[in-house]
Amino acid sequence: MTGSVDRLHNELDELTRLTPHVRRDRPTRTIIGSWFLLLISIAYFALPLVGTLLFSLRDPGFAAYRDTLKDPQLYKTLGYSFLIAIITVIVSIVLLVPTAFWVRLRLPRLRPVVEFITLLPFVIPPIVLVYGLLTTFSKPPLALTGSSLGSDVLLVCAYVVLSFPYMYRSIDAGLRVIDIRTLTEACQSLGAGWVTIMWRVILPNLRVSILSGAFLTLAVVVGEFTIANFLARPMFATYLQLISGNLAYEPAAVALISFGITWAAMGVIALLGRGRREKINVAGAH
Amino acid sequence: MTQSPEVLGARIASRSGRRRFPTNIFGIVPFVGFAILFLVLPTIYLFVGSVQTKTGQFTLDNFAHLTRPFTAAAYGASIEISLVTALVAGILGFLLAYAVIAGGLPGPLRTGIMTFSGVASNFAGVPLSLAFVFTIGRTGFITVLLKSIGFDPYSTGFTIYSKIGLELVYLYFQLPLMVLIIAPAIDGLKKEWREASENLGATSFQYWRHIALPVLLPSLLGSVILLFGNAFGAQATAFALTGGFIPLVTIVIGSQLSGDTLGDKNLGYALAIGMVAIMAVTLVAYSWLSRRAERWQR
Amino acid sequence: MPRLLTIGATLLFVAAACGNGGSSTAPTVGPQGSTPAATAGSSTAAGAQPWVPDPTMLSAAVAEGGLTTIALPPSWCNYQDLLAGFTSKTGIAINNLNPDGSSQQELDAISANKDNKGPAAPDVVDVGLSYGPKAITDGLITPYKVTTWNDIPDSAKDPAGNWYGDYYGVMSFEVNTAVITTVPQDWSDLLNAPKNSVALAGDPTGSNQAVSAVWAAGLGTGGSLDSAQPGLDFFKQLNDKGIFVPVIGKTATVASGETPIRLAWTYNALADRDSLAGNPAVTVVVPKTGRLGGMYVQAISAYAPHPNAAKLWMEWLYSDEGQNLWLKGYCNPIRYDAMVTAGTVPADLAAKLPDSKGAALPSLAQITAANDVITKGWPTTVNVTVK
Repeated sequence: MTGSVDRLHNELDELTRLTPHVRRDRPTRTIIGSWFLLLISIAYFALPLVGTLLFSLRDPGFAAYRDTLKDPQLYKTLGYSFLIAIITVIVSIVLLVPTAFWVRLRLPRLRPVVEFITLLPFVIPPIVLVYGLLTTFSKPPLALTGSSLGSDVLLVCAYVVLSFPYMYRSIDAGLRVIDIRTLTEACQSLGAGWVTIMWRVILPNLRVSILSGAFLTLAVVVGEFTIANFLARPMFATYLQLISGNLAYEPAAVALISFGITWAAMGVIALLGRGRREKINVAGAH
Repeated sequence: MTQSPEVLGARIASRSGRRRFPTNIFGIVPFVGFAILFLVLPTIYLFVGSVQTKTGQFTLDNFAHLTRPFTAAAYGASIEISLVTALVAGILGFLLAYAVIAGGLPGPLRTGIMTFSGVASNFAGVPLSLAFVFTIGRTGFITVLLKSIGFDPYSTGFTIYSKIGLELVYLYFQLPLMVLIIAPAIDGLKKEWREASENLGATSFQYWRHIALPVLLPSLLGSVILLFGNAFGAQATAFALTGGFIPLVTIVIGSQLSGDTLGDKNLGYALAIGMVAIMAVTLVAYSWLSRRAERWQR
Repeated sequence: MPRLLTIGATLLFVAAACGNGGSSTAPTVGPQGSTPAATAGSSTAAGAQPWVPDPTMLSAAVAEGGLTTIALPPSWCNYQDLLAGFTSKTGIAINNLNPDGSSQQELDAISANKDNKGPAAPDVVDVGLSYGPKAITDGLITPYKVTTWNDIPDSAKDPAGNWYGDYYGVMSFEVNTAVITTVPQDWSDLLNAPKNSVALAGDPTGSNQAVSAVWAAGLGTGGSLDSAQPGLDFFKQLNDKGIFVPVIGKTATVASGETPIRLAWTYNALADRDSLAGNPAVTVVVPKTGRLGGMYVQAISAYAPHPNAAKLWMEWLYSDEGQNLWLKGYCNPIRYDAMVTAGTVPADLAAKLPDSKGAALPSLAQITAANDVITKGWPTTVNVTVK
């Protein structure tokens, strides 16, 4: 499949080069359709949040919010979750980008196998995953659970595994649209080593993919409950569960607050990740 | 001048002076090692547990249990809901992603939708189900609003405590997931191709039929598979909303593994292996579909 | 919000009066609304002595460096006062794992952490009655008899001392009176409740609280401790009449009116009533007939990283002061009868407890049988229509 899509890309680029180049804007029809779809989507996503907001306001005078924001544990656990999430994203990138790249380049026959492995986290219930992890890593020689640091390491590794489906799929989609064979060949003919190729050529081209995968991983980690619970780490989701007890309005407030904070964090990441969005175009260079 | 991938590969390999097959494998050793340690071992644990009785003897009874009406219904419901939400979210998510990336909307909207999708794709479990209850539950504010203007949605037989209701809720994280996953692929649709095709006189339909869809098809199919898997493995949201009254595989597994009522763990493991098998079948179907789509492209 | 501030301030005052420090995991958000107001000092009363830890045991426990508990929600039976009180009296910090965990998860945590002496291994567990014997079979717990052992009824403890009952509650109706004008007083009244009003607090195929609700309904309508099927029939009726709402009832859904009648243990329902504090108003009714008690048991892990701290914790829980703190959380402490006889139960606390005379406390065998009937029969008998 890869081969034919690559061929398509190359053919299309050839065709584009041969065609007189006149810039055109989107037809009005498309723009109206886009706005319509956008507004409906916004309505669908906003309404449940509005519902939660209205419910949380039944506690008069924003009491639910004030009580929540006063709690230092909220910030502590949220900060901790974000830290773990960022580390997870970094480890995931370091592990998956070279892997996806290598599989596409050299081991196309293994792609289905690798894809299956990356989809496994979906079907292994987190409870089983964590029991398996606890059993394996609580005994020497792999004893990790005896200390906080060890548990943190285990936590990050578990989350990297959970991020496999999203990160790998994102990166793979991103790699699909770049002609990595030609790029790699060109780089090697210029004398570049693998590290240079990855760091200066492939990664920048994957900016969008990595960002979208990173968003997902961040949200997964901040929202994950089962594994954090069993490894006894002070993550945000366990805090949320703790205060939910017999309360009605405060959990609704916390849900909205965490939604807002996570969204803001992603906004920051998006801004940081914004750069010149150039795609290195080798075939059919203008 | 483009060359076929096989020739290129051979050139690269010979240039770097390495033999092909054996050493290439080492490139994925870190990944495989990681997967073995943190993924395969727990799965083996699962597998071993599924063929044991409570006392540790070998048995296939747990798997026989999978064919009983209750568990079969659970699998059926899980697959149905996953398939429906995967397809609906696949289509709508693709359209939405296209709208914000290449549909002529202002640039900042794209960042807004992307970041929002990141959060929304993981807004699940109790908060999400409660959010929907507060909105379109029987006492939800939209329901109340509609009733005040004379229309009671519940009088049509609709209830949020149903498969349809669950699917509606699942969309909340399925749609954003699709948007995020398909974004890189849509980004890869070069503007120049569209312009060139329009300059050559092609209609919108022709552009889609011959250029855009063929290029996007593998990503679209792959994303739908991912969405299916995501819905299939979802537990917290379904449990919170239906309270286990709609049997879904993940909920049944939860009751067996971590309930308060002396569940059967080995059965839980067998059910999970069943899920793994279904995902494997899905992947096979995906490969088959991909190959057919490739033929369609010609 | 003034009332919340008052409650909060009172709690701080009580905590300060009892000593400094508190559990590092107890948040300041929840508790302010979820415990009854202004009963400062009621954990001691005429006749009840404050708990004084035995010095030898205390030094051994302190030397271990901590205590790890599991599945103790702070708002469940007033565990937050018990956790905070232990720390303030002994100086031992408590690490409370997985506050919302199920009994199965507690036992799993022990077995998964057998070789692990780190923070994820629990020292003590508080599980449903059926799990006591299971834990013995699996070799997960170790015996210990507290000093007040003889006050615990024989039917509520393992003779060898492996597990011992700690508290029980009674199945009750938690009613949002802003929505429900005619408050049901008994199970048969539920059959006349408005449509879409009654919900369980869990999934009857996995939650002890939900199974008990179904069982109790049967007790009130022709069933017995030895027969749980009438309970299933009752719920089938309820569902056919459209009164049953197929969702897990939570505090939020009671408050929003989505599940204005929720079937829950007295201590949970009363904690909800207090935390909502009139917004909306909630009444808790123990049904006239069909009173089912549900008991939980304590045990020390056989692999506890802090065995002496665990024993000290048990002494705390079974002391007069500890038992009264459970009482404050609306749970019937297991030594209740003995303490009433000895005059160590404060009158105001006793008055707060809902009338649960005649509540049946089932035996292990009866629980196992009922569990089996209900978890297997629910999907087929009640058969909620799935569109």
